[in-house]
Amino acid sequence: MRRALLILAGLLAFVAIAAVIVYVAFTGPGEIPPASRDLANLSAEERAEMAQAGEYVARTGDCVACHKSPDGLSLAGGTPMETPFGTIFGSNITPSRDHGIAGYSADDLYRVMVYGIAPGGTHLYPAMPYTSYHAISRADNDALWVWLMAQEPVERPNRPAELIFPFNLRPLLGFWNLVYRPDPPDQPVAGVTAPQEDQVARGRYLVEVLGHCSECHTPRNLAYARKPDAHLQGNVIEDALAPDITPAGLARRGWNTQDLERFLGQGLSPQGVMTFRMFPVLSHSTKYMTPEDIAAVAAYLMQDAPAPTPPEPRPEAIAGNAEGHALYLGLCAGCHGADGEGQPYGSVPMRTNTSAMFDDPLNLVRIIREGIPARHLTGYQRMQEMPAFVDRLSDGELTALVNYLRQRWGGHEQALSADEVTQTPG
Amino acid sequence: MSERMLSVTMQINGEKVGPADLPEDLMLLEYLQEYLNLTGTRYGCGQGVCHACAVIHDAPGGPEVVPACITGVAWANGRSFRTVEGHATRDIDGNVTQLSAVQQAFLDHFSFQCSYCTPGFVAAATALVERLQSAPVAREDVEDVVLEALNDNICRCTGYVRYLEATRDVILNTPGLTTGQVASRDTAT
Repeated sequence: MRRALLILAGLLAFVAIAAVIVYVAFTGPGEIPPASRDLANLSAEERAEMAQAGEYVARTGDCVACHKSPDGLSLAGGTPMETPFGTIFGSNITPSRDHGIAGYSADDLYRVMVYGIAPGGTHLYPAMPYTSYHAISRADNDALWVWLMAQEPVERPNRPAELIFPFNLRPLLGFWNLVYRPDPPDQPVAGVTAPQEDQVARGRYLVEVLGHCSECHTPRNLAYARKPDAHLQGNVIEDALAPDITPAGLARRGWNTQDLERFLGQGLSPQGVMTFRMFPVLSHSTKYMTPEDIAAVAAYLMQDAPAPTPPEPRPEAIAGNAEGHALYLGLCAGCHGADGEGQPYGSVPMRTNTSAMFDDPLNLVRIIREGIPARHLTGYQRMQEMPAFVDRLSDGELTALVNYLRQRWGGHEQALSADEVTQTPG
Repeated sequence: MSERMLSVTMQINGEKVGPADLPEDLMLLEYLQEYLNLTGTRYGCGQGVCHACAVIHDAPGGPEVVPACITGVAWANGRSFRTVEGHATRDIDGNVTQLSAVQQAFLDHFSFQCSYCTPGFVAAATALVERLQSAPVAREDVEDVVLEALNDNICRCTGYVRYLEATRDVILNTPGLTTGQVASRDTAT
């Protein structure tokens, strides 16, 4: 018995020592390429030019959505991000000496963006999307650094992550990175600050690297890493469905390139309006992108997409789900129209809306229950508030209404049970 | 689809109305105005946001306010509602003999100017007063519940404060709506 315990202790000690060796030897950052230009000796004019380019990198990278403060200070940190392991808060990335990133060199920023390692060796949680940013061009990184350092510092401390054990042990992320952190590309990529003739290549960089779309739209495995074989196939995150945005998935719900450009650039298209965590993407990122870049994103997402095949309306749902039909006419049709035609800038059309098309009823149920606040989109465009109906519908009524919308316009023949509808989170 | 008809019966201001064959997508507001000649309920935004069209729905759980412009007769069917025409006391010929306490307070406080939003405010304030009859609140909470109850109603002449003061006045001076100190003349200043 004692001998067995000794062997076990020996084995544990071996594993521990091996882990330390692996950690020290292999979990650090990889190579850091030289700066794109001599950043120490920039003229005022060059600095201003780079800052302007860097602002565009920050917009396309959507830094602000997570790094703003809840009371609206850009880059000051504090926006919560809910994960299955607890809550992580966006950090202060203003050039504050005590709380922000004033001490970062451009190399330090590159190490954070590409390897997820802060100065001093602290591992960042992959909520910071370094597994997407890993392919950022050195020129984009350097322009972003110049812009970040030109911002007003905000003296506000970071809020520590509130994660359950063992996910609160940051060194463990070193091992996660060994498995799941991709290496930077072998060949340097053009980046957004350089001209790029190839529209699809530029779109790919905007979607996969800076835009980090797959961080929400790709399902994750048990280690909370994105599944490479289900890229952009849709994922439930923060109690909302980030839908399938593969070319085939988009085409199935009626998307074409033109509609996708409207949605990304203006927040509104026949398929619906930006909702949940996609609305900040519009307000902090895509509405600032050039029309050419919006077109590049749409071209990449719709690359080789089949012709759009949205579900045919199923008028038989009117007779087949009489309770749902009466509820729709009584509570929804006043704004969305008896035939789902909607009203411009008031309420979206239902007959082309994608929320009823998803297999998962989550978004549809939450919107009916919670409503949507009035929203400014782009320019002078805005959408009216949708009231919450949680107090006006019983569970049975909600089920009938959700099924009616799915059956009439969502292409679904089968009805969901009351449990499937009412036990959605949120 | 709009040719589809629906047989609709409901209670309006205590009287049974219908059965009437109505287009199934007709909104309650249009039914009130165009079919029943009850034109006091107002059409504002048409989106259920401004609450100029608010009417009282007498639900089993108590009175609640619904926006008539986006509430269809398909939902109203079989239910009971009160419009602005139903609040005052009338004589046998239908002439108003006494306004409701809320209506009188709105006049006393000069709560409105153009009056377009007033029917909706009357509905919201009346529903609140009636809810307090069965569930009184502490006197110090009256301001909060008044603001909450009237918060959805939009007034373009900025009469908000005087609507709020009038409603608070009614509540503080009507026995049984508040707990704690007995109401004395606790007028707003």
